[in-house]
Amino acid sequence: MRAWKAVLLIDLALIVGVGWGYAFWGLREGRLERELSEARAAAASGIERRWVVEGVVRAIFPELGVIVLTHGDIPGYMPAMTMGFRVASPKIQEAVSVGDAVRFTLQGVLPNVAVTTIEKIK
Amino acid sequence: MYALGLAARWLHLASSVLLVGAAAMIVMAGRSDRATAQRWERRVLASAWIWALAALASGVVIVGTQTALFEGRAAAAFEPRAIGQMLLETQAGRVWLVRAGILTILAVFLSLHVSVERRADWRAARGEVAMLAVAALLPLAASGHAAAVEPDTARAIASDGLHVLAAGIWVGGLVPLARLLRAAATEEGADARPYAVLAARRFSRTALAMIVLLAATGAGLAIFHVGSVAGLVGTSYGRLLLGKLALLALALAIAALNRSVLLARLGGDGPTVGRPAMRRLSGFVLVEAALALAILVIVAAMNVTPPARHEPPVWPFTFRLSFAALEGRAEEATRALIGSQIGIVGLVALIAGLAMRAWRLPLAAVALASLGAGAGLALPPLAIDAYPTTYLRPSVPYQAGAIVAGAALYQANCAGCHGPRGAGDGPEGRGLPRAPADLRAPHTAQHTAGDLFWWISHGIPGSGMPGFASRLGEEQCWELINYLRALSAGYAARNMGPTVERDRRWLVAPDFTFAVGPTPPRALKDFRGRTVLVVLYALPGSRARMSQLAGREGTLAMLGVEVIAVPIDADPDAIRRLGPDPRVLFPVVTQGAETIVAAYRLFAVAPHVELLVDRQGYVRAITRGSGDAADLDALVARVQQLNAEKIAAEAAPEEHVH
Ligand code: HEC
Repeated sequence: MRAWKAVLLIDLALIVGVGWGYAFWGLREGRLERELSEARAAAASGIERRWVVEGVVRAIFPELGVIVLTHGDIPGYMPAMTMGFRVASPKIQEAVSVGDAVRFTLQGVLPNVAVTTIEKIK
Repeated sequence: MYALGLAARWLHLASSVLLVGAAAMIVMAGRSDRATAQRWERRVLASAWIWALAALASGVVIVGTQTALFEGRAAAAFEPRAIGQMLLETQAGRVWLVRAGILTILAVFLSLHVSVERRADWRAARGEVAMLAVAALLPLAASGHAAAVEPDTARAIASDGLHVLAAGIWVGGLVPLARLLRAAATEEGADARPYAVLAARRFSRTALAMIVLLAATGAGLAIFHVGSVAGLVGTSYGRLLLGKLALLALALAIAALNRSVLLARLGGDGPTVGRPAMRRLSGFVLVEAALALAILVIVAAMNVTPPARHEPPVWPFTFRLSFAALEGRAEEATRALIGSQIGIVGLVALIAGLAMRAWRLPLAAVALASLGAGAGLALPPLAIDAYPTTYLRPSVPYQAGAIVAGAALYQANCAGCHGPRGAGDGPEGRGLPRAPADLRAPHTAQHTAGDLFWWISHGIPGSGMPGFASRLGEEQCWELINYLRALSAGYAARNMGPTVERDRRWLVAPDFTFAVGPTPPRALKDFRGRTVLVVLYALPGSRARMSQLAGREGTLAMLGVEVIAVPIDADPDAIRRLGPDPRVLFPVVTQGAETIVAAYRLFAVAPHVELLVDRQGYVRAITRGSGDAADLDALVARVQQLNAEKIAAEAAPEEHVH
């Protein structure tokens, strides 16, 4: 066999091998990533969601219907921070006062969520 | 097991390198129609085939030992399931699969007898061998220590790849070159002599370039894996590297002799070249190759030794050199300066000597003399006592919790001599051979944390300072050291006031963790990159100031300031005590306050303290007051001053040991 033919064959085989490797691993990786982001997007849209979170009451604005809470992580919505939330009914705010450690329920379709229950913990 | 693994690694490295060298040498020497040259080429290709098989076989042994190591039992080396797992699920395994594939193709190709009568065929066939050999060698870089370097992984792997490639072309090329020279030096090999001389010259030129490349990439890798003098002399990896460099120096000396003396004797071309000169060069080239293969033994050992960066270094000398030794000693500083000037004269002479052939000897003498004199004059003043633990890194980070634990240990073990506040005035210290040290003194800055570790563990002979190794665990020693560090830093901080001094970062804010109510704990370190105002407050005195801060929280937030308020009385009900008016929305610590206050009181004691921590984690200003409302614009101005500073790319404070 002429040498250049053998070389050509080997190089072709190598290219096919590398290409196959890329097709197998690279495409699989890409597909997994896509599925993950699709699943995330589906989880985030249009569906009513509900979280139970712990925190501390920092301020109450009865006239606005807002309560400010320092809270822990709310998975898929926001990390731990101090944030004002709308309350579903004015009665909810009356049960607690500034400085109380509380467990509260946050409910609604993003981004329209409100505090629906709140109770002191200790 | 270890010896087997090491032997397999060496054989693997050596055969992979020889394979690359053989292929490269043939390409470098070029095609010849002389019978001796063609015979040589066939023999080199035959040995390349053997190297390929040896690399495959030793690779299989490595995979076996690796699997056994991975699974923690020797029998795993023979279990297909364990081996499969190791091959498919570890990076080293996948890299090996790829390399084994390429090596197999190469071995098959070498065993084919393809016709290379025509020039194009010769080029294709020999080029292919070289390409496959290189392709089989390069991925090695992705399975060694370089792949574990963070964060510069890609650069480390690239350096490592170039390093092995350069080694392959230089080291691997020596053996076929020696064979060619030997063949040409025989009576009947006369026809190949011009070819051999040409090949030797080409190789010499390429090898020089490869050695330069080796040095450059090697230096880069040394920084990645060793990184410090202590790592070089104080860890097994570093010492292996030193051994490697010593052997390398020897090999390079022989290489220089070969290149400048023996190769030159081959001068004049054609069959007139002397046979003895050629045979001598062949012998010396073989010696160079043997040394290089010995270096590979060390390289194989380094491959299975954790890099120095990840090992605690054991400093082998009783002294170290540091510019800190000159602080406050003007005479010694002058001496060091003069010595360094003489040393520079020596360096200039050295460079001049290299450049000017005629003056080489006298210039070299001048260079040696002044380098020696300069070092003799400049180095002794720089010497500081050192101990085996001098470069040990604290295993307990500089955190409020550790400082507080250290403070308790201090009061129980050390206060008797060193005094309750560290001033060296304890009652038990009287009548000791030497007065107990004032631990607040800034001169502790000359010493590393590792020095303190040694003194506390082993005492200071002849001074009355006892060793505590039998009473305190390692962790407790580090806690004490963290306390001493905070103590002397706090003593220096008594002069720090409310104004920010431009670009003066020296007071590291000890890290702390805190929580607000039932929320997950956070650390001061999480706020790196933002300016933090740590407020130690007490009610009712601080109420006015707290209202003021609460009222302007929006402004502060816009400037990138986070306020963390810590009640000095550590009341878990602190938020309720502050009440609904003013609306305080920044974090008020309800868990962890006690520790924070205890640690930060070393820096400032007052009814109301505010510490301004910059984006890199250094305390830059301390305000001590009573908690009355004060000028907020002044605070805003200080923050703006901090924001205007460029952030230097220096080590984060917790890595900065003193
Ligand atoms: C029996 C008395 C005594 C006790 C107890 C003692 N020391 Fe010392 N220490 C000394 C004396 C005396 C020196 C001064 C040594 C010198 O000047 O060389 C000293 C020196 C030191 C130094 C060196 C300071 C420097 O910068 O040179 C350190 C650090 C130190 N002590 C830490 C401690 C710690 C930590 C403890 C408690 C675990 C402790 N010592 C307990 C007597 C004591």
